[in-house]
Amino acid sequence: MIGLLAALAAEVPEKVINPVVPDEIGEIFWGALAFFTLWALLRYVCLPPLLKVRAEREQQVLADQEAASAAETQGEQVRRDYEATLAEARSEANRIVEVARVASEAQRSQAVAVAEAAAAEERQAAMADLDAARAQALNQIKGDVASIAISAASKVVQADLDLAQNQSTIDDYVNQASGTR
Amino acid sequence: MSALAHTAATVLAATDYTAAEAKGIAGASSAGFAYGLAAIGPGIGIGYLVGQAVQAMARQPESAGQVQTTMFLGIAFTEALALIGFVVFILLKFV
Amino acid sequence: MLGLQTLVGNLTNIALLAAEGEGGGGVQFPPIENIVKWPALFGEDTFYAFNKIALISMIAMIVPALLFYFAGRKASLVPKKLQNIMEASIDFVEKQVIMPAIGPEGMRYLPMLVAMVFFIWIGNVFEVIPTSHMPANARMANPLMLAMTAWVMFIGVGVKHNGLGYFKSALFPPGVPKALYLLVTPIEFLSTFLIRPFSLAVRLFANMLAGHILLVTFSVLCITLWGFTPLVVVELLSFPMLVAFTGFEFMVAFLQAFIFALLTAVYIGGALHPEH
Repeated sequence: MIGLLAALAAEVPEKVINPVVPDEIGEIFWGALAFFTLWALLRYVCLPPLLKVRAEREQQVLADQEAASAAETQGEQVRRDYEATLAEARSEANRIVEVARVASEAQRSQAVAVAEAAAAEERQAAMADLDAARAQALNQIKGDVASIAISAASKVVQADLDLAQNQSTIDDYVNQASGTR
Repeated sequence: MSALAHTAATVLAATDYTAAEAKGIAGASSAGFAYGLAAIGPGIGIGYLVGQAVQAMARQPESAGQVQTTMFLGIAFTEALALIGFVVFILLKFV
Repeated sequence: MLGLQTLVGNLTNIALLAAEGEGGGGVQFPPIENIVKWPALFGEDTFYAFNKIALISMIAMIVPALLFYFAGRKASLVPKKLQNIMEASIDFVEKQVIMPAIGPEGMRYLPMLVAMVFFIWIGNVFEVIPTSHMPANARMANPLMLAMTAWVMFIGVGVKHNGLGYFKSALFPPGVPKALYLLVTPIEFLSTFLIRPFSLAVRLFANMLAGHILLVTFSVLCITLWGFTPLVVVELLSFPMLVAFTGFEFMVAFLQAFIFALLTAVYIGGALHPEH
């Protein structure tokens, strides 16, 4: 192995080369050829399809974004419409409830008024009855009291007292008594 | 600098050196100094530059990309001096 | 046989060194030429000498071209697996390179920047692919060629979009006192038209060469110290380091491709809007 390598090394022509200065023209020649070929290939053959696809994709992305924003505006519009409808319905419902409330309130107050009127009438009638009954009772009591008083007094004085004569005195007394009652 | 002095003394004392040999010895021993000296300034410069860049990136992470590009540019410019020193080293040592 | 060494890669060199190390008794590192010198498969000593670097460059052209071709051949609106990956890479170049550096009008330069990222990345990744272990960009040829391309590109863009006023705004930046132009104009000229391509090339090249030397160093340590000697305990350190640096270099391979494309985009963006 070492012999082979030594033989290889011996075959290398002894030519001192400079590590810094590019003294091997072949390297520059082939390097330049390779680089400019690569440049030309990329410029005219390899890159255009890729760049075209990139541009197309950018266009597509832009279009898609536009469509998305359009859809968004549309959605926003729909939402606004829906909200408007909803608000309308709500105010309508409120109005109906209000009307119903007012109507029922009126009905109720009417019913109350009717009932109150009936009650007041009944009470009036009852009061009138009561007054009549009282006046009758009073008159009856007045007659009874007078006869009782006269009979009692005649018993006391041992003489018939004339009812007609003492009628006024009794009346006064009864009146006083009913007045003080 | 002792190596330089040593080289000079050697070259002066040994009069049986040919001129090419004396040049080779002087070149070889000054080559290390050439590169060592050339590395000081760029070393400090790159350290400072990258430190500042890291600080900038830490303060504003959103501009890290731009700072990084600028940092590489600055490193490239600073480093060129050290690399020229390296080339001088090669030239002194081997040519 | 030359071809074999070209294809098999560093392992040969390192094994040779290990053999030498056993004989000499001690750690020997390869001379720097050994790790970047590759005999040509054909066309030795001509302008089309086809060595390993050229081979890697060709692979770095063919692989991304095929990947993009098959991804784009049946391109659909809903991407499949391969198309998804390749579109993600296009997205990466768009979002991380073009948008911050140039802006939306930089999409014209997408093919060039994608080609740069993939060409450099795949060239670099051969640094950690077993049996290859040689980044194509650890030789100055490809980085220099790419940097010159970027240089011609940004000057061309500046002249095309601003006419000769580009040079005026590049060399005489507005808002500077008249007298200072004596100082500013030569500096601007140097930094814009000379140092830019130079540093662009050197950055890529030196990063990859340094990573390559790092991996070779730890490989040599791992191989030469393997044996019944007390030095074998160094394996405990050198082998994990080799594994860790392999992962690190895999990351650097991509990072350098990204930075090269990003800087090219920044220069083009600066030429498009010279007022900034």
